[in-house]
Formats: sequence, C-alpha cells, structure tokens
Amino acid sequence: MTTRKPKAAPIVINLFFAVLSAAILAPLLLVVAISLSSEESLLHNGYRFIPAQWDTFAYEIVLRNPLQLLQAYQVTIGVTIIGTACALLMTSMAAYAVSRRDYRYRRPTLLFIVFTMLFNGGLVPFYILVTQYLNLKDTLAALIVPYLVSPFYLLIMKGFLEKLPVEIFDSAKIDGASEWRIFLRIVLPLSTPALATVGLFISFAYWNDWWLGLLFIDEQKLVPLQLLLYRIMDTIEFISANMDLVNVNLTMAKFPSLSTRMAMAVLAAGPMMFVFPMFQRYFVAGLTVGSVKS
Amino acid sequence: MYPKKNIMLLVVLCLALVLSACSGGNGNGKNGGSDPAPGNTGTAQNGEEKKPAEELSKVELVWYYPQPAIPSDLKSVESKVNELIEPKINATVKLMPLAFGDYTQKMNTVIASGEKADIVWTSNWNFNYVQNQSKGAFIPLDELIDRYAPDVKASMPDFVWEATRIDGQIYGVPNYQTVTNREGFVLQKEFYDLYKPEAEMKQLADLAPLLEQVKQKHPDLIPFAVGRQGMFSYMNRTYGLESVLANIAVIHLDNPDKIVNMYETEEYRQYLDTMRDFYEKGYINEDAATLKSIGDYQKAGQAVGGFHNVLKPGGEAEAKAAQGGKDMQYAFTTDAYVGTNTIITTLQAIPVHSGNPERAMMLINLVNTDPELFNLLAFGIEGTHYNKKSDGSVELVPDSTYTASDWVFGNVFNGYTLAGKDPNVAKETKELNESATPSPIIGFKFVTESVSAEIANVTTVIDEYGPGLNTGTVAADRILEEFQGKLKQAGIDRVIEEAQRQLDEWKASVQ
Repeated sequence: MTTRKPKAAPIVINLFFAVLSAAILAPLLLVVAISLSSEESLLHNGYRFIPAQWDTFAYEIVLRNPLQLLQAYQVTIGVTIIGTACALLMTSMAAYAVSRRDYRYRRPTLLFIVFTMLFNGGLVPFYILVTQYLNLKDTLAALIVPYLVSPFYLLIMKGFLEKLPVEIFDSAKIDGASEWRIFLRIVLPLSTPALATVGLFISFAYWNDWWLGLLFIDEQKLVPLQLLLYRIMDTIEFISANMDLVNVNLTMAKFPSLSTRMAMAVLAAGPMMFVFPMFQRYFVAGLTVGSVKS
Repeated sequence: MYPKKNIMLLVVLCLALVLSACSGGNGNGKNGGSDPAPGNTGTAQNGEEKKPAEELSKVELVWYYPQPAIPSDLKSVESKVNELIEPKINATVKLMPLAFGDYTQKMNTVIASGEKADIVWTSNWNFNYVQNQSKGAFIPLDELIDRYAPDVKASMPDFVWEATRIDGQIYGVPNYQTVTNREGFVLQKEFYDLYKPEAEMKQLADLAPLLEQVKQKHPDLIPFAVGRQGMFSYMNRTYGLESVLANIAVIHLDNPDKIVNMYETEEYRQYLDTMRDFYEKGYINEDAATLKSIGDYQKAGQAVGGFHNVLKPGGEAEAKAAQGGKDMQYAFTTDAYVGTNTIITTLQAIPVHSGNPERAMMLINLVNTDPELFNLLAFGIEGTHYNKKSDGSVELVPDSTYTASDWVFGNVFNGYTLAGKDPNVAKETKELNESATPSPIIGFKFVTESVSAEIANVTTVIDEYGPGLNTGTVAADRILEEFQGKLKQAGIDRVIEEAQRQLDEWKASVQ
C-alpha cells in the first residue's frame, strides 16, 4: 500500500518550519554581517547580509581591551551555574512539599507562594530589603538570591511531581526510608525530565539577567555580561534621544560605532549559541517526556 | 499535565508580577524638603574664613554622577582625588559614576531607599531637578553656599543662580559651562558659500532659495534633513516664542505673562505650511516622518542643511566630526539667550539624607575652585591618562582607561583645553554667557506633577499626529484641526491653566 505520492501535510509542516527557522536565523546572520562591515559602508549602503566592505576593525577594538568582557563572562557563567544548581534544589524541594497531598498546610503554603505572583512590595522595598537587611550590595549573591525560587517554575515543577504515584512513597516509607531519602533517592531521579526543563528556564533567566546587576552592582568587577551590553546600548539610545535639546557637550563619537556594538553582541552571544546545541537533546527529551505523562 | 488554560493563566500572572515590579515607585513623597541643613556645629563661625580642618572629624562622602561609560581605572583617580582633598577638608570621596541611560532609574532607588549619598548630580533632562526637589529629595543650599562656597557664588552671573531657585531657594549648584542657547541653521559650508541668498536667513522660509539650488544641482543629497519630531520645538525662539513645557506650552516673548497652547499659535501654522511646501518640493528626506534620528544621514555627509537650537562658539568645528568630515557653517536665526532650561542642564545637589551637607558643600566648592582637582576628575592622571603639550593643551592617551565628560563635575572654565581645540572658545563662551539676554521668565519652573496624567495623554496624541505634520509629510489643512481637537480631549487646556496659575504665583512671589 505504499504510495509514491508525497503527502501534503508533511510538506506544509516542513515548509512552515523552514521559513520559521530562516526568520529566526536571518537577524542573527545580519548581526554577524554588520559586525564584519566597515562603518562607512554601513552608512552608505545600509545593512546587508553580505557586507560591501569586509572589515574586522570592530573586533580589533573590542578585543584590544578584552579584560572587561572576560570578567563579565566569568561573572555570568559563575552566576548561571551556581544559581541554577541552587535554584533547582530550592524549587524542587518546595514543589515536592506542596505536591504531597498528605502535607497539612498545603493550601496555605500554596497560597503564600501564589500570592507573591500577584502582589509584591514594589521596587524600593525590594531594594531596601536586599541592600540594607540582607546586605548583599556588590556581592555575587545579589545576582543569585532574588531568583532562587520563582513561583512560576515552582508550579510547573509541582504539576509534574503531583503525577508521581503516591504508592511509591508509601512503599519506600514501609521500607524505612526517611523523607530526605525519599526525596533524594526517589523523587529527584524520577523527575529528571522536569528538572531539565525547569533548569533550562532558570539558567536562561540567570544568563539573560541585567536587572539585578543594574540595581545592586556598582563594583566594576562584578558586572554581568548582559548588563555590560545593556549599558552601552541603553546609554546610546538615551543620549541620541535627549542630546539635541540640551546644551551639554557630548558627542556620539565617544560611543562605540554600530559595527563595534554588533561585534560585542556576537562575542557575548556567540559562545552560548555553540554550547546550547550540545545540551539541546537533553532539553528536548525533558520537555517531551514531561508532556507525555498520561 | 495542566490544561492549556491554566498555563495561560500562569503566564498572565507572571506578566502581572513583572509589571508590578516595574511600576514600583517613589512612595517617598515628603513635601517641602525644607528641613534646614542639620548640624550648625558650634557657634557662629562667620568671623573665620573656613573651619580649620582639624576640627572636623573624618568622613567619607559619596558622589553620584552620570558618565557615557564607567571608566575602568576609576580607583586610581579616586585615590588621587582623596590625596588632594583630605588635607583640605578631612574627607574622602567615593566616586559613583553611573551610565547615562541608567542614571534616573538608579538614582530614584538610591534616593527613595535613603541610601548613603552626599552629592548627587541632577538636571532638567536626566534625574529631573524640579521633580525631585518637589518630592523633597534635596536640601536648600543658600546658607551652605554663603558659608562654604562664596567664591563659587561669585564665579557665575546672578541670573544663573536665579534660574536654580525653586520657591526662592537654591537647591543645586550649577556646573558652570555654556548657559546660552542660540538657534540657527547648520549648513555644509561648500553649499552655503555657493548658494547663500542675498537676504539674511532669519526664518525657515528664507532658506528655500538655497535648498532649491541644492535640489537642482545635487539630487543625491538631502537639502534639509529632518527627523520624526520635526523642527518646531527647536525653533521656538526663531518664531518669537519661548518654551514653558517642551512640545506643549509656550509664551510669546512680546507677551510673557500669558501661557498658550503651542499647537494653536499662528506661528505653528506658519511653520507647518513652510514645511509642507519644503516637503512637496522635495527638500526634505522622504522618510522624515519615521526617521528616529538624522545622525546617519549626517555621518554619511548627505545632509546639506539642518536646524539646531544649541549653536555655540567652536560648535562648527565639533559639528564637522558628526557630519562626515564636511566643513559646516552656522547661520544664526536668533541672538544668544538664556532661559531656565538652558541653565539647569547640569547641577550638583545635596540629598536630604546626606549626613554631611557641610562637607559636601566644601567638596563642591573645591571642585569648582581648584583647577587641579577639576582637571583630575575631568581628564585623569597626567602621564597615565593624558599628556600635557607645550602650549598648555592636553592630549588624551589613546584607549585611555579613564575618560569623562567634564561638565558633569564643575566649572568647566577651570579645565584644560583639549589639543586641537581653539583655546579662545572658552573665553568667547564666557563672554557670551555674560552678555546674553535673559528670558523674561527666567527662574520659573513648571512643576508638572498635578497634571501628569493629562501630559501623558497629550504626549500620546502628539506622538500620533506630530511626525506627519511636523515633517510636512501631511498637509495641515484638515489634519491640524483634528489634531487640536484631540489635544483638547486629552486635557491640554488643563495643563495650560495649571501652568498659568503657577506662573502667576511665581510672578507675584518674585516682585
């Protein structure tokens, strides 16, 4: 019953994803192309996928003083690894507790967690809490602690853990396992797919964060990568929007040119693009295994 | 698994969380801010010039200010600064430069949380001076200035100080630099020399003959480069108006007691018609209504003409760099003038929770009177960050680890001249500062808090209609009326009324 006639559905689906991939890939390629164009050709010809004039000058400028970029990398990598490990542990422990139906304060605890998704003290109290009560200003911890438990990920995790059969816990208990042992030896290994998924989200949150750095980091050595980029872009944007109306002397010549900014973006994002595909299959497995549960 | 609905709900909840985190605010609405400077230590010290340093206990001051980028070698400059100031005022200073783009947001948290800060930079365009004063963020400085910084007071014309006064009190020490504005055309010299019309160019329409010539003979160039905001808000003076609230409220210079809606003035209509004419004749770049900044056209050297509201001595040479290396020529449409907003563009204020306002003022005094200290902050350490040339000018080391914008710190007339810049510029600027015509309402500041909702609505309407009209892309005939109607609906009249009320009050208090 094999028919040689290709079916329409797979073609449409493939076509759709081919277009989608191209749409995602194009801007990235453009960024790389801009970073390799000479500034002059950018002004005259605009953005092009194949630069009119190839030029690596932008990279020379950025790499002439790479110390800051390297330091920022160190900070971001450190924060992402430590942060993801700690946050996963905290999230899964809390999620496990509220997923157990025999936990008496399940509802109040859940309410307590969900409440923070809706209401919070606002920026200034948050700032005061971190800087004056926790004394975390200018420490790596300031970049980690605020994201340790996110109610959203906690609820995803809880949703997964609730599907684990209660009977396993009961039998483990009968065999004499303590709650800790059940959690570490049974719950965690069983929930690796969910851990991978949530861990991926958390690590992206840490990797992409500049907000905490902006608030709590004044020490140059602790500036994370994204903040470094954000500052450059944001300041250029701000200056070009405001400068015309003010009689202060600030020339745009002091700021990196467009190709230099793109070169920084490539250097900042590049390594992640190569690292990510290597882990990708685990992540994909995690995402799908989680959703197939009946 | 959760049904899709629940996930969506969670996403929405998450967004709500993010939004509420962003809108966290400045609850710290103490008004007045009129606590007198604390700690009048000892009895009246007016007899002595300054307190001897030994009497003061050692303190550390924290100074927040913005910079284009945070220098990597801040520490060595900071320790040099401290070597200089410690023997004089027995205080050290912690320099806290922030990036311009972050400054407002970061300072709001610093001020609202009461974090230690002794001197904070403020202005009318970044970390707003008037707004924060009305929140009670700063202490009044009159007494401190008289006591610890009389030289600084004498170094600037009186109208500069008048411009900083709010409710009769000074809340910020201006960093003295150019305080004048002068409007005019900025034209590529080559074409200016070739096609300059006989008559002086005083109005927008006077430029037409020159633009026509450029259009005819150089079709590849843009005769008159315009961005999406248009030009009118830069041209107020040229049209005999002065801005009270940027883009919304103006006064006529010949009738300075009455505030009017900018979009209902005859001058605005004239402007629109001229621009429409220009646009139809092809003088203006076609993408004007969507163009964020004309900077790229300028860098490519394609913009023959433009208009600017801050023309200053030495500016033609500076403009050259931004205009793709083309020589530029100014054609002034106004005389130099000073208004509140041309002065309060860079100030130092002392926040209410500073523990050491006296010492902070002493430091402000030192920065403004001691050229060595000022140059250290502005240029870094000699030999490391810059080199002195034989003619007294300085040259920055390439890829220096310390660069700064000097006008953020203090009196720029105390600074070195950069190599390659005309040393007369400083002198000319100073003369211009002193000879300029002050605005009839200098010192008046519109506190917009009570009508901020209306202003936000009005701004939305302006964003909708402004780009099309102001660039000449659409004709004014029908659209202008519609625009004016929408502005009225958005509550522009209430804004004008409130401004008028405050102006009347201010007038009464000055006389």
